[in-house]
Amino acid sequence: MKTSCEHHQDCMQLIQKILDGEASVAEKEDFIANKDQCLPCQKGYELELSLKKNLKSKCQLSCPEQIIHKIRLKLFLLLILISILIPLFC
Amino acid sequence: MEVEVKDKIYSLGNARGVFEKEFMPHMDAMYNFALKLTGDEDDAQDLVQDTCLKAYRFINSFEPGTYAKAWLFRILKNNFINDYRKKSRGPSKVEFEWVEQSISGEDEAAEPAYFADLQAETVNDMLGDEITAALQSLPVDFRMIIILCDLEEFSYEEMAKILDIPIGTVRSRLHRARTLLKTKLVNYAKTKGYN
Repeated sequence: MKTSCEHHQDCMQLIQKILDGEASVAEKEDFIANKDQCLPCQKGYELELSLKKNLKSKCQLSCPEQIIHKIRLKLFLLLILISILIPLFC
Repeated sequence: MEVEVKDKIYSLGNARGVFEKEFMPHMDAMYNFALKLTGDEDDAQDLVQDTCLKAYRFINSFEPGTYAKAWLFRILKNNFINDYRKKSRGPSKVEFEWVEQSISGEDEAAEPAYFADLQAETVNDMLGDEITAALQSLPVDFRMIIILCDLEEFSYEEMAKILDIPIGTVRSRLHRARTLLKTKLVNYAKTKGYN
Protein backbone atom coordinates (compact mmCIF):
# COMPACT_ATOMS: atom_id res chain seq x y z
CA MET A 1 0.00 0.00 0.00
CA LYS A 2 1.20 3.53 -0.83
CA THR A 3 2.19 5.65 2.17
CA SER A 4 2.34 8.89 0.21
CA CYS A 5 -0.02 10.19 -2.47
CA GLU A 6 1.22 12.29 -5.35
CA HIS A 7 -2.34 13.43 -6.11
CA HIS A 8 -3.39 14.04 -2.55
CA GLN A 9 -4.75 17.54 -3.22
CA ASP A 10 -6.97 16.29 -6.05
CA CYS A 11 -7.95 13.23 -4.04
CA MET A 12 -9.06 15.37 -1.08
CA GLN A 13 -11.26 17.48 -3.35
CA LEU A 14 -12.72 14.32 -4.87
CA ILE A 15 -13.34 12.84 -1.41
CA GLN A 16 -15.32 15.94 -0.40
CA LYS A 17 -17.28 15.80 -3.65
CA ILE A 18 -18.15 12.15 -3.01
CA LEU A 19 -19.21 12.77 0.60
CA ASP A 20 -21.29 15.77 -0.50
CA GLY A 21 -23.15 13.51 -2.93
CA GLU A 22 -21.93 15.51 -5.92
CA ALA A 23 -19.56 13.01 -7.58
CA SER A 24 -20.45 10.96 -10.65
CA VAL A 25 -20.62 7.16 -10.56
CA ALA A 26 -17.35 6.97 -12.52
CA GLU A 27 -15.60 9.29 -10.05
CA LYS A 28 -16.81 7.19 -7.13
CA GLU A 29 -15.65 3.96 -8.75
CA ASP A 30 -12.23 5.44 -9.54
CA PHE A 31 -11.80 6.58 -5.98
CA ILE A 32 -12.91 3.28 -4.43
CA ALA A 33 -10.48 1.39 -6.66
CA ASN A 34 -7.64 3.72 -5.58
CA LYS A 35 -8.54 4.01 -1.90
CA ASP A 36 -7.56 0.48 -0.91
CA GLN A 37 -4.09 1.05 -2.34
CA CYS A 38 -3.39 4.45 -0.76
CA LEU A 39 -3.03 5.09 2.98
CA PRO A 40 -3.19 8.94 2.84
CA CYS A 41 -6.43 8.72 0.81
CA GLN A 42 -7.91 6.25 3.31
CA LYS A 43 -6.99 8.51 6.23
CA GLY A 44 -8.26 11.56 4.35
CA TYR A 45 -11.56 9.85 3.61
CA GLU A 46 -12.02 8.82 7.25
CA LEU A 47 -11.20 12.33 8.49
CA GLU A 48 -13.57 14.08 6.07
CA LEU A 49 -16.33 11.58 6.87
CA SER A 50 -15.92 12.02 10.64
CA LEU A 51 -15.85 15.80 10.29
CA LYS A 52 -19.04 15.80 8.27
CA LYS A 53 -20.81 13.36 10.62
CA ASN A 54 -19.73 15.19 13.78
CA LEU A 55 -20.74 18.59 12.44
CA LYS A 56 -24.16 17.20 11.60
CA SER A 57 -24.71 15.34 14.85
CA LYS A 58 -23.03 17.63 17.41
CA CYS A 59 -23.68 21.18 16.22
CA GLN A 60 -27.49 21.25 15.98
CA LEU A 61 -29.86 23.08 18.32
CA SER A 62 -33.63 23.25 18.51
CA CYS A 63 -35.48 26.49 18.05
CA PRO A 64 -36.79 27.71 21.45
CA GLU A 65 -40.56 27.32 21.73
CA GLN A 66 -40.90 30.98 22.74
CA ILE A 67 -39.71 32.12 19.29
CA ILE A 68 -42.23 29.89 17.52
CA HIS A 69 -44.91 31.21 19.87
CA LYS A 70 -43.89 34.84 19.19
CA ILE A 71 -43.94 34.32 15.42
CA ARG A 72 -47.39 32.70 15.50
CA LEU A 73 -48.65 35.55 17.70
CA LYS A 74 -47.25 38.23 15.37
CA LEU A 75 -48.82 36.54 12.34
CA PHE A 76 -52.13 36.24 14.16
CA LEU A 77 -52.07 39.96 15.05
CA LEU A 78 -51.09 40.80 11.48
CA LEU A 79 -54.06 38.83 10.13
CA ILE A 80 -56.43 40.52 12.59
CA LEU A 81 -55.08 43.93 11.58
CA ILE A 82 -55.47 43.17 7.88
CA SER A 83 -59.00 41.79 8.44
CA ILE A 84 -59.97 45.03 10.17
CA LEU A 85 -58.28 47.39 7.72
CA ILE A 86 -59.36 45.81 4.42
CA PRO A 87 -63.14 46.44 4.88
CA LEU A 88 -62.38 50.07 5.80
CA PHE A 89 -60.75 50.72 2.42
CA CYS A 90 -62.95 48.53 0.20
CA MET B 1 -34.43 41.46 -1.36
CA GLU B 2 -34.76 39.74 -4.73
CA VAL B 3 -37.61 37.29 -4.96
CA GLU B 4 -39.24 35.85 -8.03
CA VAL B 5 -42.79 37.13 -8.35
CA LYS B 6 -45.42 34.71 -9.59
CA ASP B 7 -49.01 35.40 -10.58
CA LYS B 8 -50.62 33.93 -7.53
CA ILE B 9 -52.52 35.49 -4.65
CA TYR B 10 -53.33 33.57 -1.48
CA SER B 11 -56.29 34.39 0.70
CA LEU B 12 -55.31 35.25 4.27
CA GLY B 13 -56.38 31.81 5.51
CA ASN B 14 -54.53 30.00 2.74
CA ALA B 15 -51.40 32.05 3.33
CA ARG B 16 -51.45 31.07 6.99
CA GLY B 17 -51.94 27.43 6.00
CA VAL B 18 -49.03 27.52 3.55
CA PHE B 19 -46.90 29.17 6.21
CA GLU B 20 -47.69 26.49 8.81
CA LYS B 21 -47.29 23.57 6.42
CA GLU B 22 -44.28 24.66 4.37
CA PHE B 23 -42.27 26.99 6.60
CA MET B 24 -42.78 26.01 10.24
CA PRO B 25 -41.07 22.57 9.86
CA HIS B 26 -37.82 24.44 9.13
CA MET B 27 -37.74 26.55 12.29
CA ASP B 28 -35.01 24.49 13.98
CA ALA B 29 -32.78 24.71 10.90
CA MET B 30 -33.41 28.45 10.54
CA TYR B 31 -32.66 29.11 14.20
CA ASN B 32 -29.47 27.06 14.00
CA PHE B 33 -28.34 28.95 10.92
CA ALA B 34 -29.22 32.33 12.46
CA LEU B 35 -27.45 31.53 15.73
CA LYS B 36 -24.28 30.43 13.99
CA LEU B 37 -24.30 33.49 11.74
CA THR B 38 -24.91 36.07 14.45
CA GLY B 39 -23.21 34.31 17.36
CA ASP B 40 -25.80 35.85 19.68
CA GLU B 41 -29.08 34.32 20.89
CA ASP B 42 -31.05 37.58 20.91
CA ASP B 43 -29.87 38.52 17.42
CA ALA B 44 -30.65 34.99 16.20
CA GLN B 45 -34.19 35.21 17.59
CA ASP B 46 -34.73 38.59 15.93
CA LEU B 47 -33.27 37.33 12.66
CA VAL B 48 -35.56 34.28 12.59
CA GLN B 49 -38.62 36.38 13.40
CA ASP B 50 -37.76 38.98 10.74
CA THR B 51 -37.17 36.20 8.22
CA CYS B 52 -40.54 34.60 8.97
CA LEU B 53 -42.39 37.88 8.69
CA LYS B 54 -40.61 38.66 5.40
CA ALA B 55 -41.41 35.16 4.11
CA TYR B 56 -45.05 35.74 4.99
CA ARG B 57 -45.01 39.15 3.31
CA PHE B 58 -43.62 37.63 0.10
CA ILE B 59 -45.57 34.37 0.34
CA ASN B 60 -47.22 34.99 -3.03
CA SER B 61 -43.85 34.48 -4.69
CA PHE B 62 -43.44 31.04 -3.11
CA GLU B 63 -44.44 28.02 -5.20
CA PRO B 64 -45.92 25.25 -2.97
CA GLY B 65 -44.10 21.99 -3.62
CA THR B 66 -40.79 23.71 -4.33
CA TYR B 67 -38.01 23.62 -1.77
CA ALA B 68 -39.29 25.91 0.99
CA LYS B 69 -36.16 25.44 3.10
CA ALA B 70 -33.85 26.81 0.39
CA TRP B 71 -36.24 29.74 -0.18
CA LEU B 72 -36.29 30.57 3.54
CA PHE B 73 -32.52 30.24 3.89
CA ARG B 74 -32.04 32.65 1.01
CA ILE B 75 -34.27 35.21 2.69
CA LEU B 76 -32.49 34.67 6.02
CA LYS B 77 -29.06 35.05 4.43
CA ASN B 78 -30.07 38.27 2.64
CA ASN B 79 -31.65 39.56 5.83
CA PHE B 80 -28.48 38.81 7.77
CA ILE B 81 -26.23 40.53 5.23
CA ASN B 82 -28.44 43.60 4.95
CA ASP B 83 -29.43 44.13 8.57
CA TYR B 84 -27.36 42.09 11.00
CA ARG B 85 -23.88 41.61 9.62
CA LYS B 86 -22.64 45.04 10.70
CA LYS B 87 -23.60 44.58 14.31
CA SER B 88 -22.92 40.86 14.70
CA ARG B 89 -19.73 39.54 16.12
CA GLY B 90 -17.11 37.84 13.97
CA PRO B 91 -14.66 38.82 11.27
CA SER B 92 -15.61 41.46 8.71
CA LYS B 93 -15.81 41.06 4.96
CA VAL B 94 -12.29 42.47 4.65
CA GLU B 95 -10.99 39.83 7.02
CA PHE B 96 -12.87 37.16 5.10
CA GLU B 97 -11.33 38.25 1.80
CA TRP B 98 -7.91 38.29 3.41
CA VAL B 99 -8.34 34.79 4.79
CA GLU B 100 -9.75 33.47 1.53
CA GLN B 101 -6.80 34.84 -0.43
CA SER B 102 -4.22 33.92 2.16
CA ILE B 103 -5.10 30.26 2.15
CA SER B 104 -5.81 29.97 -1.55
CA GLY B 105 -2.62 31.12 -3.26
CA GLU B 106 -1.54 29.37 -6.42
CA ASP B 107 -2.14 25.94 -5.04
CA GLU B 108 -5.96 26.14 -4.53
CA ALA B 109 -5.94 25.72 -0.74
CA ALA B 110 -3.47 22.91 -0.55
CA GLU B 111 -3.83 20.52 2.37
CA PRO B 112 -1.13 21.43 4.88
CA ALA B 113 1.13 18.54 5.87
CA TYR B 114 0.16 18.88 9.54
CA PHE B 115 -3.35 17.60 8.77
CA ALA B 116 -1.74 14.19 9.14
CA ASP B 117 -1.84 15.01 12.89
CA LEU B 118 -5.64 15.24 12.82
CA GLN B 119 -7.23 11.80 12.89
CA ALA B 120 -10.88 10.85 12.45
CA GLU B 121 -10.81 9.40 15.98
CA THR B 122 -9.71 12.77 17.39
CA VAL B 123 -12.68 14.50 15.77
CA ASN B 124 -14.98 11.74 17.02
CA ASP B 125 -13.70 12.32 20.57
CA MET B 126 -14.33 16.07 20.46
CA LEU B 127 -17.38 17.51 22.18
CA GLY B 128 -20.07 19.36 20.27
CA ASP B 129 -19.08 22.62 21.99
CA GLU B 130 -15.49 22.20 20.83
CA ILE B 131 -16.43 21.61 17.20
CA THR B 132 -19.00 24.41 17.36
CA ALA B 133 -16.35 26.78 18.77
CA ALA B 134 -14.01 25.94 15.86
CA LEU B 135 -16.86 26.51 13.40
CA GLN B 136 -17.79 29.81 15.07
CA SER B 137 -14.21 31.03 14.80
CA LEU B 138 -14.31 30.87 10.99
CA PRO B 139 -15.05 33.99 8.92
CA VAL B 140 -18.80 34.21 8.41
CA ASP B 141 -18.80 33.30 4.69
CA PHE B 142 -16.80 30.14 5.38
CA ARG B 143 -19.02 29.31 8.34
CA MET B 144 -22.11 29.85 6.22
CA ILE B 145 -21.08 27.45 3.46
CA ILE B 146 -20.11 24.67 5.90
CA ILE B 147 -23.45 25.01 7.69
CA LEU B 148 -25.38 24.88 4.43
CA CYS B 149 -23.47 21.84 3.18
CA ASP B 150 -22.66 19.73 6.23
CA LEU B 151 -25.44 20.61 8.68
CA GLU B 152 -28.30 21.30 6.31
CA GLU B 153 -27.20 19.05 3.42
CA PHE B 154 -28.03 21.44 0.59
CA SER B 155 -26.69 20.49 -2.84
CA TYR B 156 -24.01 22.63 -4.52
CA GLU B 157 -26.69 23.97 -6.87
CA GLU B 158 -28.99 24.95 -3.99
CA MET B 159 -26.10 26.59 -2.15
CA ALA B 160 -25.21 28.56 -5.27
CA LYS B 161 -28.78 29.90 -5.40
CA ILE B 162 -28.93 30.70 -1.69
CA LEU B 163 -25.57 32.48 -1.71
CA ASP B 164 -25.89 34.05 -5.18
CA ILE B 165 -22.54 32.68 -6.33
CA PRO B 166 -21.51 30.31 -9.16
CA ILE B 167 -21.24 26.56 -8.43
CA GLY B 168 -17.48 26.69 -9.04
CA THR B 169 -17.18 29.27 -6.26
CA VAL B 170 -19.31 27.07 -3.98
CA ARG B 171 -16.90 24.19 -4.54
CA SER B 172 -13.72 26.20 -4.01
CA ARG B 173 -15.06 28.18 -1.04
CA LEU B 174 -16.25 24.99 0.61
CA HIS B 175 -12.85 23.38 0.17
CA ARG B 176 -11.11 26.43 1.63
CA ALA B 177 -13.57 26.62 4.50
CA ARG B 178 -12.94 22.98 5.38
CA THR B 179 -9.18 23.48 5.14
CA LEU B 180 -9.43 26.37 7.60
CA LEU B 181 -11.75 24.42 9.90
CA LYS B 182 -9.27 21.54 10.02
CA THR B 183 -6.50 24.03 10.81
CA LYS B 184 -8.54 25.31 13.76
CA LEU B 185 -9.25 21.77 14.93
CA VAL B 186 -5.60 20.73 14.66
CA ASN B 187 -4.54 23.72 16.77
CA TYR B 188 -7.31 23.08 19.26
CA ALA B 189 -6.48 19.37 19.49
CA LYS B 190 -2.85 20.22 20.23
CA THR B 191 -3.68 22.68 23.00
CA LYS B 192 -6.09 20.22 24.62
CA GLY B 193 -3.73 17.29 24.32
CA TYR B 194 -5.90 15.18 22.02
CA ASN B 195 -3.96 12.39 20.33
